[in-house]
Amino acid sequence: MNAEPLTSPGMAGSKRRGSRTSLGEKLFSVFNHAFFILLGITTVFPFLNLIAKSLSSEAAVVSGRVNLVPVDLQFGTYRYVAQNGMFLNAFKISVIVTVVGTLLALFMTTLAAYPLSKTRLRGRKWFILMYVFTMLFSGGLIPTYLLMQSLHLINKLPVLFVPAMVNVYNMLIIKSFFESLPESLEESAKLDGASNLTILWRITLPLSLPVLATISLFFAVQFWNDYFASLIYINSANLKPLQLYLKELFVSSSDTFLRMGNDVNVDAAMNASPQAIQAASIILATLPILLVYPFLQKYFVKGVLIGSVKG
Amino acid sequence: MEPATTTNETVPKQSAGTKSYFGRLWVDIRKDWDLYVALIPGIAFILLFKYTPMYGIIIAFKDYNIFDGMAASPWVGFQHFEKLFSSDSFLNVFRNTLIISVYKIVFLFPLPIIVAILMNELKNIIFKRSIQTIIYLPHFLSWVIVSGLFIDLLSTNGGIVNKMIVALGGEPIRFFLDSSIFRSVIVASAGWKEVGWGTIVYLAALTGIDPQLYEAARIDGANKWKQTLHITIPGLVPIILLMFILRLGSILEAGTEQILVMYNPSVYNVADVIGTYVYRIGLGDQDYSFSTAVGLFESVIAFILIVSGNALSRKFLQRGIW
Repeated sequence: MNAEPLTSPGMAGSKRRGSRTSLGEKLFSVFNHAFFILLGITTVFPFLNLIAKSLSSEAAVVSGRVNLVPVDLQFGTYRYVAQNGMFLNAFKISVIVTVVGTLLALFMTTLAAYPLSKTRLRGRKWFILMYVFTMLFSGGLIPTYLLMQSLHLINKLPVLFVPAMVNVYNMLIIKSFFESLPESLEESAKLDGASNLTILWRITLPLSLPVLATISLFFAVQFWNDYFASLIYINSANLKPLQLYLKELFVSSSDTFLRMGNDVNVDAAMNASPQAIQAASIILATLPILLVYPFLQKYFVKGVLIGSVKG
Repeated sequence: MEPATTTNETVPKQSAGTKSYFGRLWVDIRKDWDLYVALIPGIAFILLFKYTPMYGIIIAFKDYNIFDGMAASPWVGFQHFEKLFSSDSFLNVFRNTLIISVYKIVFLFPLPIIVAILMNELKNIIFKRSIQTIIYLPHFLSWVIVSGLFIDLLSTNGGIVNKMIVALGGEPIRFFLDSSIFRSVIVASAGWKEVGWGTIVYLAALTGIDPQLYEAARIDGANKWKQTLHITIPGLVPIILLMFILRLGSILEAGTEQILVMYNPSVYNVADVIGTYVYRIGLGDQDYSFSTAVGLFESVIAFILIVSGNALSRKFLQRGIW
């Protein structure tokens, strides 16, 4: 009845045991905080060095004098990259692909999710199975490539977002959200004579904004970061998105060189880019994500939870 | 004045018992026609972009050449698969895939769990939130960026890590060209990128553990370590098992996108995995049929693994991925 939660019931040694526990706990807390500070530093560390290099003179970088602080501070690298036609073009391509891709993907994926969320749909289980099966088994790289070839999509901009327009994983998240909305809303709308699509547009979607925002972000990040699709489908220099441009820029002129048949980037090989400029390119390419991310973090986290923790 | 009774449309729903199956089906479809129309784009898309390539798998059993196309190329049966199982280069690739995947599981699977448990002990909300923001970030970077960061960090001229090694009296290590250490670079960079993000699922599970259990344990005199051992970890076991099963299901995917950006001919012998091999043989050497055969081999095994994994999970944990 008079049990105090933090000490064991009325024992003589309780005071001593109590203070030993709290000393141990204090020690643990210190260790824990130190551990996480270390973890944070480890995460941030690769950036610090790169940022420092991007702001240093090329001579300082190449001679290895740059650590965490810029040597011979200069901003010329950023000026150069921000004005470099090829960089800007790649940036533009990425923006187009990301914006158009996300809008299209959101539209298609949501449209696909809506009918599947209605239990009265005939054949619903089979349709869902058709979608889910594609997550388990696929044709593979070459058959997909051959398909794009026969669709005449090779080396055309749409190939970077059209094949990704329906993402089953995201669709399932949206579907499960739709299913969680109360049926009474739909019923009363039906009584007023609304058609299914009217309901979707006027009731379901406005209520789903958080989920849609999250899914849009998932798509946007996926499109912005993708390099594999452009690697296999794009050959023209002026259609290369940012990630592919970067890959060719630094991978062929650092002490790791990658040569795969017709994949050698002549431009980078001929003017082996100064390291400081490479560093600036990487930082500039990361900026959009860095700027946008802190504000949107909670949406991403929620999305992961909805997606993975299903009953 | 005679009601049309020969067709089904005009018969009201209540007399469903007297109608044929197709009659009822038709009524339902007509009632929700716009729902069924909305189905079409998605299904058509899936059929075109996902199922058509599955038909293309057929070239794994043929000797595909561009002129004859898929249909007319000569049939060779399991010839490519025989080659696959006897080819040294493929067996090496398969071995690499398993080794790298197992390394990643052994070293990287437990980390998010441990970090989540420790993070759960942080009392200061602001500190906790800040740390979370920081460690989630690498997940949002592309492999190109991550690769660029690490190539720079580990480079032999100007790379900070090598500078520290030299300062401590060692020889600079060619991280990206040395076969004995390259796999560790792959695993370490994958960890840097994903461990932070991986804690989310476990943190959520931790909040689901009943706080009264901890209270009761404290009253009984259990210290933090005992509490962790007897409450926290058992509480996490279901989600850990689920994640583990999922992870095993994709064991043949050892990080193709990552390795593709980071590897180079000097380390092919240790880092070439199934995914990169399919790419090089297929689009590089343009040996379409053989590459498809390898890809099919991988797809089938992955399918079996994930379906049985899900079945096991359903049986023992009462939950699956779908």
